[in-house]
Amino acid sequence: MKKYSKQCAVVLCGIVFLITAGCSSMKTPATADVAVSKAAVENAAGAGGAEFAPVEMASARQKLVLANKAMAEKDYKQASILANEAEADAKLAQGKARSAKAQAAAEALDADIRFMREELNRVNP
Amino acid sequence: MKKSVFIPGLLAVAALVSACSSMPSSTSLLEQTRVDYAVARSNQNVAIYAQPEMNRAAEALGHANEAANKNRSGEKIDELAYIAKQKIALAQEVGRQKSAEAEVANAGHERDRIRLEQRTNEADKAKLDAQIARSETTEAQARADRLEAQLADMSARKTKRGMVITLSDVLFGTDLARLNQDGMRTAKKLADVLQQNPQRTVLIEGFADSTGSASHNQALSDRRAMAVSNALQEMGVARERITTRGYGESHPVAANDTDQNRQLNRRVEIIFSDAYGKVLAR
Repeated sequence: MKKYSKQCAVVLCGIVFLITAGCSSMKTPATADVAVSKAAVENAAGAGGAEFAPVEMASARQKLVLANKAMAEKDYKQASILANEAEADAKLAQGKARSAKAQAAAEALDADIRFMREELNRVNP
Repeated sequence: MKKSVFIPGLLAVAALVSACSSMPSSTSLLEQTRVDYAVARSNQNVAIYAQPEMNRAAEALGHANEAANKNRSGEKIDELAYIAKQKIALAQEVGRQKSAEAEVANAGHERDRIRLEQRTNEADKAKLDAQIARSETTEAQARADRLEAQLADMSARKTKRGMVITLSDVLFGTDLARLNQDGMRTAKKLADVLQQNPQRTVLIEGFADSTGSASHNQALSDRRAMAVSNALQEMGVARERITTRGYGESHPVAANDTDQNRQLNRRVEIIFSDAYGKVLAR
């Protein structure tokens, strides 16, 4: 009887340990996910995401807020999901901003060249 | 007989059941993401410029597909599909960005090439212009030299206002209004020079001495200037190339004290214009 209760205690201890470990092992990656996502949102904002990709930028910000809320509520799984989505949105916003700028530069240069070519043809027909 | 029907039937049922159980679940978002992926795959810019992004998108789509194959919840599949969809869109944007950047680099070279061509042309044109200007100057100088040589016969003087020829009193007839034979010969020479130098015009100025009234002298100077003008026109010089002006007894070249000096003052001066037909007014 005594031996049985000792075994029982060991098993209980193991369960408690597993649950704790599980929780903490969920907490660490979620924290990292949120941090990465926050950096991605900041980068995107710096690259002009709000101007060139307002939809993705707003979505990323909203999801980051919700991820932080989930962290506060210790819903680490949900926090991770939201942080990952926010990161994907932010990276897309940054990509859109960069591509819009590059395309604008290409068009401006194109117009420049067209003008110069016309000028050249006008001066030297 | 009964057994032979039973066994294939059982097999068919088993096949159906197994097919059902292995039928992967999917969501409309996942379907859409797969379409997006196929579109991105066939995009040339993505293939050239966004291979790393495309690999990450493929990995993300793989996770979503795996979740679908394992019959995970629609919510879970959508989570993964969403990430994959955004990554595919990112690959598209990177493809656009890098191809635009490549275009900028090419355009930069093109612009430099055009600039160089422009400068070369400008330099060539400047050289040509200088050459033309030089040859024009040389030509103008040659023409001026020729004119001077032609007028030298008529004892022309080079003045600030241009080449000046003085027709003295002795070239006019006694009626005062017409040139005599010598005068007409000189006028003929003048007309020839004017024909050979079509860009020049002449200003004919008449002068008188101080004998008699000022109005008489004014009329005399006018008439003498007109006499030369008429002679030149008769010899084919266009009227618009000739301007006449009478100055009466003003602007004497000698004191009106002796007959000889007074004769010097009774004169007509013919001033040749510059190469542009302009004569400085007195």
